[in-house]
Amino acid sequence: MPLRLLRFGLTRQHPEPRMFTQHDELKSSYDVVIIGAGGHGLAAAYYLARDHGITNVAVLEKGYIGGGNTGRNTTIIRSNYLTPEGVQFYDESVRLWQDLSQDFDLNLFYSTRGHFTLAHTDAAMRTMRWRAEVNKHYGVQSEAVDAKSVQDAVPMMDISCGGHAPVVGALYHAPGAVARHDAVAWGYGRGADRRGIEIHQKTEVLSIETTDSGSGPAISGVMTNRGRISTKKVLCAVAGSTPRMLSMVGLTSPLYIHPLQAMVSEPVKPWLDPIIVSGSLHVYVSQTARGELVMGASLDPYELHATRSTLDFTESLSMHMLEMFPFLGDVKVVRQWAGMADMTPDFAPIMGKTPIKGFYLDSGWGTWGFKATPVCGKTMSHTVATDENHTLITGFGLDRFRRYALTGEKGAASVGH
Amino acid sequence: MMRLPTLAGEWIDRTRTVTFTFESEPVTGYEGDTISTALAAGGARVFGRSFKYHRPRGFLSFANHDVNVMTQVESVGRSIPNVRGDVEAPIAHSKVTAVNTRGGLKNDRYAFLNRLSTFLPVGFYYKAFHSKRLFPTWERLFRRITGLGTVDLEASHRSTPKRYDFCDVLVIGAGPAGLSAALAAASTGADVLLVDENRALGGSGLYARAGTESVLAKTETLVRAVLAEPRIRVLLSSFASGYYADHWVSVIAPEAMVKVRARSVVIAQGAYEQPCVFRGNDLPGVMLASAAQRLLYRFSVAPARRIAVLTANAEGYAAALDAKSRGLEVAAVLDLRATPGPDSADLMAQLSQQGIRVITDVKPIEAVAGRDGSVARLRYRVGGSEEAIAVDGVWMSVGFAPASAFLHQAGATMRYESSIEQFVPERLPAGLYACGKVAGAYDLAARIADGERAGRQAVSALGSVDALPVAPVMPVRECPNHPYPVFAHLAGKEFVDFDEDLQIKDIENACQEGFDSTELLKRYSTMGMGPSQGKHSNLNALRILAAWRGDAMGAHALTTSRPMFHPVPMAHLAGRGFMPERKTPMDADHARLGAVWMPAANWRRPEYYAVPDVSREAAITAEVHAVRNGVGLIDVGTLGKIEAHGARAGEFLDRIYTARYSNLKVGMTRYGLMLDESGVIIDDGVIARLTPECFYFTTTTGNSATLFREFGRLATWWGIPVGLVNLTGHYAAFNLAGPQSRAVLSQLTDMDLSDAAFPYLAVREGLVAGVPCRLMRVGFVGELGYEIHLPFEFGSELWRAVLQAGQGHGIRPFGVEAQRMLRLEKGHVIIGQDTDGVTNALEIDAPWAIKMDKAFFIGQRSLAVLAKQPLRQTLVGFQMPLGVTERPKECHLIIEQGRIAGRVTSVGFSPTLGRVIGLALVDPTVAHQSHLRVRREAGVEASLEVTSHPFYDPAGARQKMELAS
Amino acid sequence: MKIMTCPINGPRLISEFAYAGELKEMPDPTQVSDEQWADYVFNKNGPAGIKREWWCHTASGVWFIAERDTTRDVIMRTYLYQAEVALT
Repeated sequence: MPLRLLRFGLTRQHPEPRMFTQHDELKSSYDVVIIGAGGHGLAAAYYLARDHGITNVAVLEKGYIGGGNTGRNTTIIRSNYLTPEGVQFYDESVRLWQDLSQDFDLNLFYSTRGHFTLAHTDAAMRTMRWRAEVNKHYGVQSEAVDAKSVQDAVPMMDISCGGHAPVVGALYHAPGAVARHDAVAWGYGRGADRRGIEIHQKTEVLSIETTDSGSGPAISGVMTNRGRISTKKVLCAVAGSTPRMLSMVGLTSPLYIHPLQAMVSEPVKPWLDPIIVSGSLHVYVSQTARGELVMGASLDPYELHATRSTLDFTESLSMHMLEMFPFLGDVKVVRQWAGMADMTPDFAPIMGKTPIKGFYLDSGWGTWGFKATPVCGKTMSHTVATDENHTLITGFGLDRFRRYALTGEKGAASVGH
Repeated sequence: MMRLPTLAGEWIDRTRTVTFTFESEPVTGYEGDTISTALAAGGARVFGRSFKYHRPRGFLSFANHDVNVMTQVESVGRSIPNVRGDVEAPIAHSKVTAVNTRGGLKNDRYAFLNRLSTFLPVGFYYKAFHSKRLFPTWERLFRRITGLGTVDLEASHRSTPKRYDFCDVLVIGAGPAGLSAALAAASTGADVLLVDENRALGGSGLYARAGTESVLAKTETLVRAVLAEPRIRVLLSSFASGYYADHWVSVIAPEAMVKVRARSVVIAQGAYEQPCVFRGNDLPGVMLASAAQRLLYRFSVAPARRIAVLTANAEGYAAALDAKSRGLEVAAVLDLRATPGPDSADLMAQLSQQGIRVITDVKPIEAVAGRDGSVARLRYRVGGSEEAIAVDGVWMSVGFAPASAFLHQAGATMRYESSIEQFVPERLPAGLYACGKVAGAYDLAARIADGERAGRQAVSALGSVDALPVAPVMPVRECPNHPYPVFAHLAGKEFVDFDEDLQIKDIENACQEGFDSTELLKRYSTMGMGPSQGKHSNLNALRILAAWRGDAMGAHALTTSRPMFHPVPMAHLAGRGFMPERKTPMDADHARLGAVWMPAANWRRPEYYAVPDVSREAAITAEVHAVRNGVGLIDVGTLGKIEAHGARAGEFLDRIYTARYSNLKVGMTRYGLMLDESGVIIDDGVIARLTPECFYFTTTTGNSATLFREFGRLATWWGIPVGLVNLTGHYAAFNLAGPQSRAVLSQLTDMDLSDAAFPYLAVREGLVAGVPCRLMRVGFVGELGYEIHLPFEFGSELWRAVLQAGQGHGIRPFGVEAQRMLRLEKGHVIIGQDTDGVTNALEIDAPWAIKMDKAFFIGQRSLAVLAKQPLRQTLVGFQMPLGVTERPKECHLIIEQGRIAGRVTSVGFSPTLGRVIGLALVDPTVAHQSHLRVRREAGVEASLEVTSHPFYDPAGARQKMELAS
Repeated sequence: MKIMTCPINGPRLISEFAYAGELKEMPDPTQVSDEQWADYVFNKNGPAGIKREWWCHTASGVWFIAERDTTRDVIMRTYLYQAEVALT
């Protein structure tokens, strides 16, 4: 029993203040307005205050803190990407993650579990080797391993996958981790709040105003359902709602929105230690500290701006789960849900400055945004504070499509999450 | 023994017993008992331990949301976790244990956690344990303690069937409202499916009887009418697990999932009774009144001998009468209200006739446990004084929460109706109806009338896309729901959520910490996140939240409801599972020849043919040699095979592929690359012109289905009339290759195979061994060769005929590995291996295949943009010195001056050239270097000599047969 | 599961259909700037709303246009593509 829990038993008054101050009114102007109080938006707010001393900031959230994809993802954290841009970016994120619980004084349950991306074909194995080699080049622990190593690490798995898709090997990424997703938003939110940043929940952006600065359009304000705000800088971190925000400032993008669904089982005694991903079988699974199996699959097949659930998702995911883990037939699925993933053509994010002066984007996070939360906060706060793209995100600009300078992350195709 | 005298209609069969063990003690129940009823009949009180504090618990609801009576059931061949004792029947001779204990239910070693509860406030795990050094240790401890049941890692794959059902009206819930709705719908001629999770029709009409026969009689009349109605089909012991788009409802039957498509749906799922929140409300023996009534009438089990009913509605009074009529002693009815309503008043008269006293204006203080840990006393305040009553059962009847999950899932909105202190439907989507308690109707007559209304509406709106107005809430004589049945105690332990062990202060403290909206509260406190998904806790938590904030109840919505309604075994969801596997017609031949298989999309192909006592490498080398020096035969039937017909078919292909086809001569073939609109290579193939208006062409194996579909879209979009036929499955194909291929083929055909009559890159149609074939002289492997396409049904026969004919020439079948080496020697790229998801057509050094001067092809305009930019990567050939066999693997990196300058895409030891050769995609700035460094396994670097490719027969003389002629 | 109506085969489960993105008419490649072309190739009509999209009934190979409200997951109507009509 840690000593710090003693105080809860020794006082009648619950000795914890609010994590987030409630602000009844919006101010008429802020130095920076952040749209979206998910992990990314709140992380940017936190680092704006902590690292750049900018605290006259409002974070506007249509719903509640962490209620979008932050609270809907399957919490996997890894840095085993394919491109130099990607690996270095996510590796910085993993480094930040590892200290976050202590930085926040909030237990995020950041749990290093090891991450297997299974290969069922030679072609997939080539990709795993490619990723492993690029990772190692940048000092990231990844190895292409054979089927036996997979079996040794997960002895209960049927590595023939029901005979349909035998595992031939895997990419093993030892730093692969999971974390308690909601707490990440709360930790960043609390940290930002304590440094004087205002978080406004149930505050919807209705329009974004621009003026001609002489050298093109520039941000001048934001209209919300609670009134107008003057500001010269807007950071947009709204995942599935990004296209709508872009249309408010007259920008277009390659972003398209598909739902990503997930489901969770009843708690059972922990038996699965690592995170297992199979691109071919469209399965990723890990077991939480509560004993629940958190499971996901691939994107829904068509565009949708809603978070409805489908039965066929649970059917095909369960079918594939049982091919890998045939003994799970009696384990029950308790809940399913969905988030809206903002996808890009090259599977890399769209970040940084835009043609609108003072309008900064943190988007295109598709199915992989959670793991990038800390580094997005870091790099976007730098970008907003200095009006210069952070060096780690220069490859991720919106203008790369116009220039045909797509990142190569899609080279790995089919392997997401 | 707590088993009551036999009662007509009870669900147990007293002529047959079932024996099992619970926590190693033998238990005997009757056929029809659940695990919990068999235990309760034997007098057991404690059935499990709670999730967090390991408090002893009995049952609460008896309605499939009693997480505290979950068990592990060990039976022959499988041990099943998380079996809900309240509703699951015991398996004969099984070993049943409570799930969440360490060392057994009685002496649970984790019981000390209950005493630590004050140090474990809401979200305590966020507040500690996170020093970087110690967290892994703490986490290991947590992972040892958490979880409920244990997964049997040895259990075998269980395959359950799936069924489909279709109906005009699906009625979910067969209580009085649902029965009435089904009858009303069927009476107009509609086909009705009635689903209920219980094993008998009637719902609460069977057990909420108020000690008389009248409710039961009315219910039974409805049941008889339903059973007599041929247009109503009844599905019992089956629960609807989710409501999905367009009235698609999954119904979980015991051994199957039934997917129901309805034209309209009536939700008559009633309401879940809710606990009163007071200290000790979780003690064994304290339960919902409806749970007790179910036990009394369905299973003839007395859950207690002497009870108090803690109530705030007429339903509680009725329950007291039920207890009395089944022979229990009712110590008192304790009413939270100062003035009971009119229905209660009517029942009060009956109670007093039976000598049961009613005390009003009661505030519960606590339930106190006796020596065995179950309830022994109820302390309460009335007027200014404290009183206590000795009981072994406390029945709570203070209100209900509507079972509105499906209404939410279907997109209905709800509003708070203060006259009954309940959420009721406000707007329902088209084709969806609600009736009975879920819609705010409580009185039996009202429920029946409401059901009839909903049943009629459901039929009248069939086929309509507009919703009907929501029926107004029927006026009630007496409010069934207490607005705030929450009684805090200084010492706590007033449980709001029994799954997650959450007390009043946990909810309030979460609010204090800023989690004061429903969704945040749920996520921080885990309220409603347990296996019962908040069925007994969400409403009270919402009340506490609203009170804490000083808001009206209607100000906060309930949390989003998502499937599953009850948890569903993965076996049910998975069903049998279908994994299509395609086989070419020569599959059995390959197997006989010793094929070692590899997957190719959903096909399987021989990787090579094993030879006894010969290594894989040597077998593949022999296959390569056979093709180079004699003749070989490979099955290429997995390629996509498509015909395009029409006067504009050539123009169509001109727009799709990078080369030009409108000018292709009849009888000739031409290679083509297919790009996406951004210039990235997505496929390649060989296009043959069979007649002026008919082209026959191939795609890669994995892309055949999607590309065929895409061709159809492009033809539609472009308005080019072209007939497209997918012959992928209709045609077999194999490639006969090697200098002796002509000699072999000539034995089987009268066709003129001379270079003049059948030159390189020509296509011919004719009979081979009597089979009509299409033959293409193409050179993927770089030798004289014929790709032979023929109707599927002759594939095996001709394959064998060719092998037979080739015997004298040393023919060998060869597999994918040998083909890969043969093509690598020729420097031919494999799309997807030597290219990746972003490689554009300018990067593979194949300008001959790209006709930028055409009017249009997909990707052309983007290539024009890309041509103005420096290349990002380019394909180069490399070789290693003779004698070096240690080689890099595919995707090992080219490293120049410490940075990544590319990667090996193909590599192998060429048996023909006697050295390692390969292809690499590299940064153009290093492509001109004579040597490149590659980083092999374990960081060892090696030198690659950049060389021109093809490596073998660069002039292509052999496939054109110039050497031989 | 949703039901989609194929203009030829009638209402079927949406699992029988393949989605191929929004209907975007191609500008004349010879008349547009590189930038306009890149806009056509990469950019999308991203915001939620009613979209016109390509769908295929895979069992029969019928391609058609669906108008779909992506906010509510509602299929408004489906019809066969005719170049001249579709753009009006």
